[in-house]
Amino acid sequence: MKPKATVRAFLSYTFLAAASLVAVYPVLRVVGVSLRPGDRLLSTSLRIIPEGATLESYRVLLLEQPFLRWMLNSTLVALAVTLVGVSLASAAGYAFSRYRFRGRQSGLAGLLITQMFPITMLLLPLYVMLSKLGLVNTFAGLIVAYSATAMPFCVWQMKGFYDTIPTSLEEAAGLDGCTGPSAYFRVVLPLTLPGLAVTSLFTFMTAWSEYLVAAQLIHDQDLFTLPLGLKNFQSNMTTEWGLYAAGAMIVSLPAIAVFLAVSRWLVSGLTLGSVKG
Amino acid sequence: MSVLAGRRIPYLLIAPAAIVLLLVVLYPFGFNVVISFSNMSMRHFRDWSLVGLDQYRRVFEDPVFYGLLGKTALWTAVNLVAHVSLGILLAMVLNQNLKGRAVFRTLLILPWAVPQYITALTWRGLFHSEFGDINLMLTRWLHLPPVNWLKTLPGSFTACAVTNIWLGVPFMMIVALGGLQSIPRQLWEAADVDGASALRKFFHITLPLLKPVLIPAVVLGTIWTFNNLNVVWLVTNGGEPADQMHILVSYVYRSAFFLYRYAYAAALSMIIFLILLTLGMTFLKRSRVEAGGGV
Amino acid sequence: MSHPVRWIILFSLITAVMGPAFLSGCGTGGDDRPLSIWHQMEGEGKDVLQIQIERFMRSHPGREVTQLYKETEELRTHFQTAALAGSGADLVYGPADQVGPFEAMGLIRPLEDLVDLDSSDWAEGALVTYRGHLYQIGDRVGNHVALVYNRSLVSEPPKDSEALIRMGRELTRDPDGDGNPDRYALVWNYSEPFFFIPFLSGFGGWVMDAEAHPTLGTPEMEAALRFAHDLPARHKIAPLDADRETADALFKSGRAAMIINGSWAWGGYGKAGIDYGVARIPMIKETGLWPAPMVSAKGYSINVNVEGERLERALELLEFLTSEDVQLEFSRVLHTIPARISARQSPIVTQDEVLRQSLHQLEAGRPMPVVPEMRAIWDAMRPQYQSVMAGTKSPADAARDMQALAERKIAEMNE
Repeated sequence: MKPKATVRAFLSYTFLAAASLVAVYPVLRVVGVSLRPGDRLLSTSLRIIPEGATLESYRVLLLEQPFLRWMLNSTLVALAVTLVGVSLASAAGYAFSRYRFRGRQSGLAGLLITQMFPITMLLLPLYVMLSKLGLVNTFAGLIVAYSATAMPFCVWQMKGFYDTIPTSLEEAAGLDGCTGPSAYFRVVLPLTLPGLAVTSLFTFMTAWSEYLVAAQLIHDQDLFTLPLGLKNFQSNMTTEWGLYAAGAMIVSLPAIAVFLAVSRWLVSGLTLGSVKG
Repeated sequence: MSVLAGRRIPYLLIAPAAIVLLLVVLYPFGFNVVISFSNMSMRHFRDWSLVGLDQYRRVFEDPVFYGLLGKTALWTAVNLVAHVSLGILLAMVLNQNLKGRAVFRTLLILPWAVPQYITALTWRGLFHSEFGDINLMLTRWLHLPPVNWLKTLPGSFTACAVTNIWLGVPFMMIVALGGLQSIPRQLWEAADVDGASALRKFFHITLPLLKPVLIPAVVLGTIWTFNNLNVVWLVTNGGEPADQMHILVSYVYRSAFFLYRYAYAAALSMIIFLILLTLGMTFLKRSRVEAGGGV
Repeated sequence: MSHPVRWIILFSLITAVMGPAFLSGCGTGGDDRPLSIWHQMEGEGKDVLQIQIERFMRSHPGREVTQLYKETEELRTHFQTAALAGSGADLVYGPADQVGPFEAMGLIRPLEDLVDLDSSDWAEGALVTYRGHLYQIGDRVGNHVALVYNRSLVSEPPKDSEALIRMGRELTRDPDGDGNPDRYALVWNYSEPFFFIPFLSGFGGWVMDAEAHPTLGTPEMEAALRFAHDLPARHKIAPLDADRETADALFKSGRAAMIINGSWAWGGYGKAGIDYGVARIPMIKETGLWPAPMVSAKGYSINVNVEGERLERALELLEFLTSEDVQLEFSRVLHTIPARISARQSPIVTQDEVLRQSLHQLEAGRPMPVVPEMRAIWDAMRPQYQSVMAGTKSPADAARDMQALAERKIAEMNE
């Protein structure tokens, strides 16, 4: 390897290592607290794995609390929101990207504008409206609320990705005898996978860890999503952070898993080069 | 033109998304507009009536407002610059053909994967003046005096900013990475052949091609940061020290839900909205002009 | 229309329609929905409540009751929103001071015509009235803070402030002399003015007068603030920084010998293995006054949206939950003081040392005002109190600012 490249590689690794350490440290701290025995919460020890580390917190959490139920609920809601959000967003994004129609500019601007309103003020009227629709204390209500929250960003993202795919691709496919559905699925869709990946990741995360709306909307303990369960649960032990931290770790794992599953698409080396000329 | 022809098609494609959005956003928004012209508060909770521009006048006459505006502007600027620069930097480093970069990518994603309220509270703990890791590290390893983070305004601001930057960089990084993936390597290689420096490559190839993907993220990121209630509220435990560490949205939250000043909060929200609207539209117009009208 | 478009649209519509298929739980529904209680009883309290609810359901077959815990502030916010929209819990349980705001917003029902009570059997403040109507029926009184001490570290709790400081100096230990004591004598919540009230009253001050005007800018307030500030800063017997969690954790881990905290937390100390005792907060030597913590009832109110047959059932539940048996059960587990005076004769109360001491402190206490202005006063006190404890503001400035801020907030609230 050329010396310049080695230096560069070295710097890159150092930088990445440092950044990763900063990224991971608070998470490690949570892991540490979740492993702490009993009530040793305020220590001046910087050890990540505390003395006498124990998995007791996890055991109590999984066996003595309806944690798995909350997990199921959150998964259900998050998947539904992702499905709805991504499909609606890719449809809309495609339209915004490929067509010039009346109301296009205002539509795009409108998407942006919906983000500008502080959510705090929407809580009360949102509840009133969902109440009128009979969606209080239902998953449907949550799904509707979350999908709408994630929508604008997703539409913008999908539109952006569609923008980077020249229409010449679809035309070229058409010239090759590949039209209609197969053109879309074989040519366009694979190229938007990075876009779909980011969009579904984002939607999933939004639904998975949202608290404010869920707390106001859900009144039935059987319907609790993870954030609600954790919070409700936090009350049980005003300072038993061990259990809370264990819960936090378990909540984070699926989110990380989803990311890993999706990250493949982020790395696929698709290029536009195939259509040169 | 595309494979799908037909004049009604775009509307059909957009319809489902539009319906959901209007349902969830339009009514609450309308409600707020109306309320902002009313006197809805504790004394007039169910029987409020319209009173014109009273609430707006109150907002502008409240000296707290201007301080909040300044804090919010500073907050947004600091966060945005950090998010974008760190995000792009990390994405670029990750985009190289390094062994084990998948591991780094996974680690760097963690701040985003762990739910916000957990990490915000964790960071609050890290900044604790006596038992928090940061001060412990400062005193033990660097032999510096401990900083009273959460009890002073600049300390509190820094704590919130660090937390929010930590939270927001992975997002920018992913977006930038996605954008970088779709830039064909040949472009950089061709530039190398021409003898271009790293800086020139960045400004003339990378950045312009990243723009279509970055711009939505940046615009939305700005808006979200401006309106970020969670981080500020959780890290400062609702405005500490002494109710000073507030940005506009957290103040709205406090006014509405803790002081029952719903109409006042609605007016303040409208003003926040109008500020963002103006900024957003101006920015978009300018970037549209730059990009040659092809948004 | 070509196939892919149809496919996309169909897919989108299907998923959007599938959403409502998740209609579980009860959105709208007739009056056969279970009765619901929203409360802020933590931990063990919640467990006791659940057991009582199950007892009720057994003796009233066919009646379903559910309970939901929410933190006090969240409880208030969520109930406000829900009740405004015509829904929300049937019974809402919380401290007496939630009555003022709820009444002002028209969210709870007056109860005096609906229940049959012998008011002489109820402790002062247990039947919460506001503006001439009964709005809340309490099941316990107290909610007051007291001095809690670790018996393995403190054999005899201090009787006055001088003894406190003297004892404190002995109890605070810093073996390795690094400026970070391994043990503090005393700790309390420096973030919430509620915990500061005993100091204020100990110096002869109070938060408001009979007309609900704030009385915060007084020399008594100044003296009290100075005293509270000096304990960590000058006498060094308390940590420099402590919020609710920190204080609790320090006491539970034996790193604080004494804590000023309320009865809601005592059960947790027992569970953490601390052999604790309860005593009156020490008398202030300079004034000769016993610090008077705020005392209030906690009880149930009924949502204004509940009517007809449902209201009848809700009242039955309310009567059950405030009956002597249930009150004594809470007393037994949580060491709370029952609202019914007749219940206080029970051995459960008379033979509980902790409860007796709690009652002793209660007798030196003062009722918490339930008027809505109280919230504005808390909000005005909170930032100043925090600043004084953090050392960033002088007691004189803080007292003056508190008063001005309180007056302004009350004006804003009443606009």
